[in-house]
Amino acid sequence: MAASSKSRVVLKAVKKIAVQFCPFESNVRATREFLALVGSEKVRATNMNCEVTCVVKHDMSEPVVDIMYVDGERLVMKGAKLTSQEMMSAFQSRCFAKDPQAKVSGKK
Amino acid sequence: MAATLCSKIIPKQGWLPLRQSVRHGSKAVTRHRKPLHFLKQKLMAVTEYIPPKPAAPPGAYPTETIQVTEESGLVLIKKKQLREVFRDNKMIAVAQNSASSVEDMILLKHRLHKHEISVKFFPNEIVRMFLSDSVYSNLTPLFIGHTVLLVSKEPKVKELLKTVRASPQITILGACVDDSLLSAQGLMSYSKLPSLTIVQGELVSGLTMLTSQTAALLQRHPTHLSALLQQYIKQQSGETESAATTGEAS
Repeated sequence: MAASSKSRVVLKAVKKIAVQFCPFESNVRATREFLALVGSEKVRATNMNCEVTCVVKHDMSEPVVDIMYVDGERLVMKGAKLTSQEMMSAFQSRCFAKDPQAKVSGKK
Repeated sequence: MAATLCSKIIPKQGWLPLRQSVRHGSKAVTRHRKPLHFLKQKLMAVTEYIPPKPAAPPGAYPTETIQVTEESGLVLIKKKQLREVFRDNKMIAVAQNSASSVEDMILLKHRLHKHEISVKFFPNEIVRMFLSDSVYSNLTPLFIGHTVLLVSKEPKVKELLKTVRASPQITILGACVDDSLLSAQGLMSYSKLPSLTIVQGELVSGLTMLTSQTAALLQRHPTHLSALLQQYIKQQSGETESAATTGEAS
């Protein structure tokens, strides 16, 4: 399931993805998995202008994924109580809503 | 077959009635097994005999012992390697690499090898098993997902950080330098520290500052020293006078 969603992730409408978490906390698993999925070569190759940055903090803060779209919209996901699949589906639905043509061409 | 023929009175000879009713009685004793009445069938099913189970003799079943799974040979080897890694290397950094390609890995390994930093991969479970036994148990929550260990004998943090900054997917989560755990920011500040000799020199100079000053004073020309002492006496007397005047005024 993760593999199929990975190949379909298209970042055409995304400008920047900023992930921040504190690795010594216990609730960061989903955020780290999301980072691994989004930061992979295939996904980044869909849009070379999109930056994927990761900040590692140590202040017991919640893990947060901040996605900035090309048209200025921001999607903030607080990953403390989410699973990585939920985050992926939310992210992908947003991307698809922004840019349905890119996803359709990707599938074909 | 007993057939009671209730026939109507035959009025004339040879004339059979149009309708003849024949009644067969069902027999109780049949040659085949007669199907039970439904209610009786239900009753028989409910009241079937359940014999008591005989208790198993004491030696029949094996006892419920705790299953101690022996660690396979691979696990033991990996644990030994991990132990050696933690013993030999002063600096161990834990990083997450979110699926970098093979070329990136080769490049990274090459760049790190120049600074004598080696890249190690271990399965997460084995690492967690090992860490829970050892002193470094606080590193355990770091090992989730795809993790890479960057180890080196000398704590060359600055070079490590520079090289890692070049490759985008590697994110440093934490490190164990000289048996002390550091977070990512701790590593940054550690890299900005001056080297040990410099720090020791600074400490020594700070402690001996006063004594070195007096030594320098004494080594100078004695006229200078006498002038300084006279100035000091004047200052002291000036202070006592002002103290006396303020005492009288109050």
